[in-house]
Amino acid sequence: MTDMLEVKVKKKRKKTVSLDKKKARAGWIFVLPFIIGLVFVYFPIVFESLEQSLFYKVPGDATARVFNKFASYYEAFFNADTSGFAQALFTSVGEIILDIPMILLFSLFMAVLLNQKIGGRAVFRAIFFVPVILSTGIMESIDASAVLDTMSNAGGIDDGSGSSAAGEIVDAVDLQKFFNGISLTDGMLKYVTDAINDIFNIVNRSGVQMLIFLAGLQSISPAIYESVQIDGASAWETFWKITFPMISPMILVNAVYTVIDAFTVDSTVMTYISTLKLTEVEKTTAISTAMSWIYFLLVIAILGILVAVLSAYTFYQKKK
Amino acid sequence: MNTSNVDSKPKIRKETKNKIKVDFERTSFKERFKAKFLTLTFLKKVVWIIVRYILLIGVAYIVLFPFFSKISSSLMAPSDFNDSMVRLIPKNFSVDIYKAIFTEQEYMTAFGNTLLLSLSTALIQTFVCSFIAYGFAKFKFKGNKILFALVILTMIIPHRTLQLAITNMFANFDILGIFSFLSGGGISIFGFEYNNEFLSSINILGNIDSKVFTPDGVRLVNTFWPYIILSITGLAFKNGLYIFLLRQFFMGVPDELEESAYIDGSGVFKTFFTIILPISIPMMITVFLFSFSWCWTDIYYSKVFFTGNNAPLLLTSEIGKELPSSIKDLVPNNISKWQTAIRTTGGLMIIAPLVVIYLFCQKYLVQGIERSGLTAD
Repeated sequence: MTDMLEVKVKKKRKKTVSLDKKKARAGWIFVLPFIIGLVFVYFPIVFESLEQSLFYKVPGDATARVFNKFASYYEAFFNADTSGFAQALFTSVGEIILDIPMILLFSLFMAVLLNQKIGGRAVFRAIFFVPVILSTGIMESIDASAVLDTMSNAGGIDDGSGSSAAGEIVDAVDLQKFFNGISLTDGMLKYVTDAINDIFNIVNRSGVQMLIFLAGLQSISPAIYESVQIDGASAWETFWKITFPMISPMILVNAVYTVIDAFTVDSTVMTYISTLKLTEVEKTTAISTAMSWIYFLLVIAILGILVAVLSAYTFYQKKK
Repeated sequence: MNTSNVDSKPKIRKETKNKIKVDFERTSFKERFKAKFLTLTFLKKVVWIIVRYILLIGVAYIVLFPFFSKISSSLMAPSDFNDSMVRLIPKNFSVDIYKAIFTEQEYMTAFGNTLLLSLSTALIQTFVCSFIAYGFAKFKFKGNKILFALVILTMIIPHRTLQLAITNMFANFDILGIFSFLSGGGISIFGFEYNNEFLSSINILGNIDSKVFTPDGVRLVNTFWPYIILSITGLAFKNGLYIFLLRQFFMGVPDELEESAYIDGSGVFKTFFTIILPISIPMMITVFLFSFSWCWTDIYYSKVFFTGNNAPLLLTSEIGKELPSSIKDLVPNNISKWQTAIRTTGGLMIIAPLVVIYLFCQKYLVQGIERSGLTAD
């Protein structure tokens, strides 16, 4: 009798694992590779990097290290040899801030164009997404190996990257003439001319964003456009009142992606950091690591503000 | 009935069972032409089409021109570099540069290695990322949101900031300090270090110092293992993006599909492998293409993981950097132009296989992402 009872109890206990719990367990198993990587590989790397920035090496002793009480973060700005850091930092951050609207505008514009029914759409798409596969800057590195080239100024083969003086597509003076009647400030003008002359760079960096926008455009139901058309909306109104709100979550995603992607491009500050040489050699590692953390934190702060602002204007069709 | 009304009625010429032939007065060609083509709407349409094509062709030109100029300079014969008339289109074709790079530099070895590395990491990453993404998309468990935020964080913290730490990690790869513990180094976990006499007396491994094992861990630099470890754990380059994309895709897959499979007695994993994976192939091809091409063109990690000059990959090899000695000084009058042409040819040969693969697969790249149902919410 007692045996029977025990068996029953055991069976009951087994049954008490609810479906939710079972599914939760399965979920953990699915994300397990990532958790393992996070704990055993990623966290140690991040901790070590932070440690590197917080400990100075002791001169004369190869292994000994001294906690510097965040002095490396201070010295990143105020060491005698790091006078150029603040400048480089703000140049790079400024570049990122200026690049975001350009890349977003351009990729949205191109995605809208590519989404329309036009002849040769497949060909244009194939061409435009070439930068996606080459987006790690390989084209630039090939060009960089040709940096010494006398090609561009000798009037030989222009590499099209617009880096040479002769290759500048638009001059500020031309644009000034063009906008003569409109009172544009010089800063605005410079921004526009820089953007146009930098078009090669922008095109090459907006491949993934274009793809994401295109995916977003495809997910808008044609029924909405149809009903708007019946109501007599013009193309302009349709874009601003239907397409734009529907695509606004993508703008958020792409803004984040653009900022993240900017880290992988060789920026002024990263070049500065990697070529940093201090007279106090034992501090170099700590200070350069601290510098790249400062750069990262600053950009993340900007990203945070950007996300906060954009998400206030983002429209979600599905309410959670 | 008056006559005019009768006139306007169509005259039936011939009538059979199926066909009817009718005479009627057609509007003149001029009138029709006017109505169709000389209107403002038509003009607007034409102008818009022209503007669109100008824009598209312009941007296509920006994308393609660097390739075009590089390809043409790589096909020029040495004599063309002395000819000031030759600019973009070579006068005398020659494939000497290609030949020289093929025969004098180890192109095929580097190509094979790069192919092996890119294929293996791309396959692993595609599979592992979809596995992880499925977990995030379809299962509710405690910490789901926090873990996903951590995925995004791994993508956000630039690997350049962590560069030194990554190098150190794989120079002496050691999980939780097991190696250093066994060789008497005491406890060292997450930067916390502790050692005393007793701990340092534990010295099972002794002072091994071979090519692979050191007292501090396993030496993984100059092998493919760092790539594979990072890929298996979903931490490699831009894996956060892949997980994000795949998660969006899986979230669009209706739950009913899995529920019906569960009712039929299929387990969670069986459902994933036999039902979910097959329907997500377009998206997986997209992710595969991304990771394959970004591994192929990656110059950063190959510099971190391959120290010294023994890197066997295309991008870290001498191709595109060193000049093959037999053709190095062929154009003495215009040497810098010639040598740049050789270098860019090397660069072209690095990306050529990738471009060929892209030409075949670009259809899937767009398809996959279009069907992803990416709505970002």
